[in-house]
Amino acid sequence: MRQARPYSGMFCGGVSARTGPHALPLARIKKIMKRSAGETADGGARMISGEAPVVFSKACELFIAELTRRAWAATLDGKRRTVHKEDVATAVHNTDLFDFLVDVVMADHHAGGDDGEDAAALE
Amino acid sequence: MADGPASPGGGGGSHESGSPRGGGGGGGGGVREQDRFLPIANISRIMKKAIPANGKIAKDAKETVQECVSEFISFITSEASDKCQREKRKTINGDDLLWAMATLGFEDYIDPLKVYLQKYREKQGDSKLTAKAGDGSVKKDALGHGGASSSATQGMGQQGAYGYMQPQVTHLKFP
Repeated sequence: MRQARPYSGMFCGGVSARTGPHALPLARIKKIMKRSAGETADGGARMISGEAPVVFSKACELFIAELTRRAWAATLDGKRRTVHKEDVATAVHNTDLFDFLVDVVMADHHAGGDDGEDAAALE
Repeated sequence: MADGPASPGGGGGSHESGSPRGGGGGGGGGVREQDRFLPIANISRIMKKAIPANGKIAKDAKETVQECVSEFISFITSEASDKCQREKRKTINGDDLLWAMATLGFEDYIDPLKVYLQKYREKQGDSKLTAKAGDGSVKKDALGHGGASSSATQGMGQQGAYGYMQPQVTHLKFP
């Protein structure tokens, strides 16, 4: 299996038995990938190379950091010190790059009460 | 992506009771929480590093980011998958993902990712060598077993560095 030791100093933070050297667990990433990887032309499942989750473990780290920084900016705008989901939503709305997340934060915005109703309202 | 509308329904219920998210307990029916999201502890750690020490992060913000990350993975993966479809390849590799990210506006991520991959490949090569190196026949052994990947490792640094725009190449495949 993968050895955690040699990496540990190299990538700072997030090192644990569960994730090995990576900040995020590769198996979990792969599961999420599989859900949207689709099928091959002959109807088989599309395969995912061993390196692909490694790429994502770092990419997600960059993505989370960027989204958080932008949310933090919104928090400061509101003269607060705690990032709330509304700040994340603001960050998404203010950033073209994050357009694909609009539905996610919208759903979240209303998600306080009845989720089923909310999903219907969105459609 | 297509299951976007379904997810608030499916995940929403467990959402409320979700304080010990990823806390090991098995999920009930449908898609389990741990199949849809990355662990919130890891996400929280990364978020904290991104803001000043005096800043705080509410739980609802962490959960939102958690959902956003899954969406991000799906978004990139779908694009990469389409590319594989067009090129009639069965396996999504690292370069496909880099290409997809560049295409979808995340070109700022490409350079750090290439550095990360490079390091990963070097370490991967190293540990293969040390793992296989009984005593004597290090080189031979490495070529024999790890050969496919460790020689790929060498060549790839360069290729990977510029190659993400080109249609290619199965070299990223690890078994």
